[in-house]
Amino acid sequence: MLSRIGYVLRETGASLRRNLTLTLATLLTVLVALSLVGLSILIQRGMSNQLARWEGGVEISIFMNPTASADQIDKVRRDLEENQFVRRSTYVDKAKAAEEVRQLFPRTPEILEAVTEADLPTSFRVVPTSTDQTLVSTLVARFQRAPGVMAVYSANEVIDFLRNVSSYLNWALALAVVLGLGAVLLIWNTIRTAMFARRREIEVMKLVGATNWFIRWPFMLEGMILGFLGASLASAAMWGFNQLWKSRVIDEAARTNLFLDQLQATPAQVNATVIILLVVGTVAGAVASAIAATRFLDV
Amino acid sequence: MIRLDNVTKVYNGDVVALRDASFDIPKGEFVFLVGASGSGKSTLLRLLNRQETPEKGDVWVAGKSINDLAGYKVPYLRRNIGNIFQDYKLLTNKTVFENVAFALEVIGKPKHVIRQQVPAILELVGLAGKQDRFPHQLSGGEQQRVSIARAFVNRPLILLADEPTGNLDPATGEGIMRLLDRINKTGTTVVMATHDRTIVNMMRRRVIELDRGIIVRDQARGVYG
Repeated sequence: MLSRIGYVLRETGASLRRNLTLTLATLLTVLVALSLVGLSILIQRGMSNQLARWEGGVEISIFMNPTASADQIDKVRRDLEENQFVRRSTYVDKAKAAEEVRQLFPRTPEILEAVTEADLPTSFRVVPTSTDQTLVSTLVARFQRAPGVMAVYSANEVIDFLRNVSSYLNWALALAVVLGLGAVLLIWNTIRTAMFARRREIEVMKLVGATNWFIRWPFMLEGMILGFLGASLASAAMWGFNQLWKSRVIDEAARTNLFLDQLQATPAQVNATVIILLVVGTVAGAVASAIAATRFLDV
Repeated sequence: MIRLDNVTKVYNGDVVALRDASFDIPKGEFVFLVGASGSGKSTLLRLLNRQETPEKGDVWVAGKSINDLAGYKVPYLRRNIGNIFQDYKLLTNKTVFENVAFALEVIGKPKHVIRQQVPAILELVGLAGKQDRFPHQLSGGEQQRVSIARAFVNRPLILLADEPTGNLDPATGEGIMRLLDRINKTGTTVVMATHDRTIVNMMRRRVIELDRGIIVRDQARGVYG
């Protein structure tokens, strides 16, 4: 049994070295394909994490003209109180608005120097009874037309934008699938080439009564190693990207108070993605080489 | 040991390689298959180790019909059958020892068995002391002896030889025949396809003659014809 394992390992190693160019080409294709898959998954996870966070506290902001009269502001306030779709609303006066600006741009106090308190618009922060898309847009439209109102913003627009972006991710995934198919074909071709290089040995092995599995094992292992190594490299690339994203984007965003703290995959999600990549890579390698070997052996 | 019952083998639907062939070869017999190129000798040998399956009829080896043998059992059938070829089919990157050991290695024989059996068989075929040579360092006759050692090291019941003397000069071919004769005397059934008139006439063994896929003669102690 031990000598048999030794035989398989020896043959696999020799075969991988013999076709070094093809081995490298295959590894790189697996690396690129699985990196794309991994990144798509991570970005999707990050976006849905952020979306979940935002959707929990959807808000409508109604900005009043700085020149709006007290009557106009009062009218909007009464309308909000009477509206059955509004759960609660709060008024942000000029002093509070200035305070918020100070919080938003802690490192650039010169903004407040350029903008006086009188220039700042007052606003209402409105929490609707549900986050339903049409309800929110009806509310937005209703108050947009009210006199004295400058603009109405809802987080829904940002959420829609993020949803849109994440739908483009499906294209990246489709591309990854195509590349993955290319990787499988390359592994298949690598194994076929390896078997062709050793066709005389295989012929002799068959004639002296080696079982098909005995002949197949070194080649299967070669395919699995190619898949696994490619997936490991892809995992490393993905991990590196994730670290960069966290340090360069998320941490930076937190410092400027941009509310993007959840736009990242959790460590558990990263680990799960690594496992997915390793399993997919190894299984794809095994399947591709098994098909190649079977077709070669069945002559 | 080997029996064919009305065996017909057709290639590509219309090329008849063997038609309605029947014979019975008892254990320990030495049989020549003779006939022109394309008469079906090689097809017959390929039917015996299940490299081909017949369209009609039954092939029996060691008391079992091998027609319906499951694919995974074929290797175990082949462990009972040694094969020798005109072009030796040696692995050029392996030494004499490794070529013979390879046949045992790939059927899972342990190292100590290989270390003991390979030198013994090399001694038997007259290659003692040449185990570390590579095939290209050997003469044609010596290469064929390596091939015979590889075919016989597992002590198979049957030895199939396809023109084993085809590439050799008459004297060297005679040496190979003496070796096959010795192997036959150990009880191994030998079936040998050949064109070599001198050898067939010298050995005076059973001769089965094929002509365009049909057995036209089956003669004990026959000549080439």
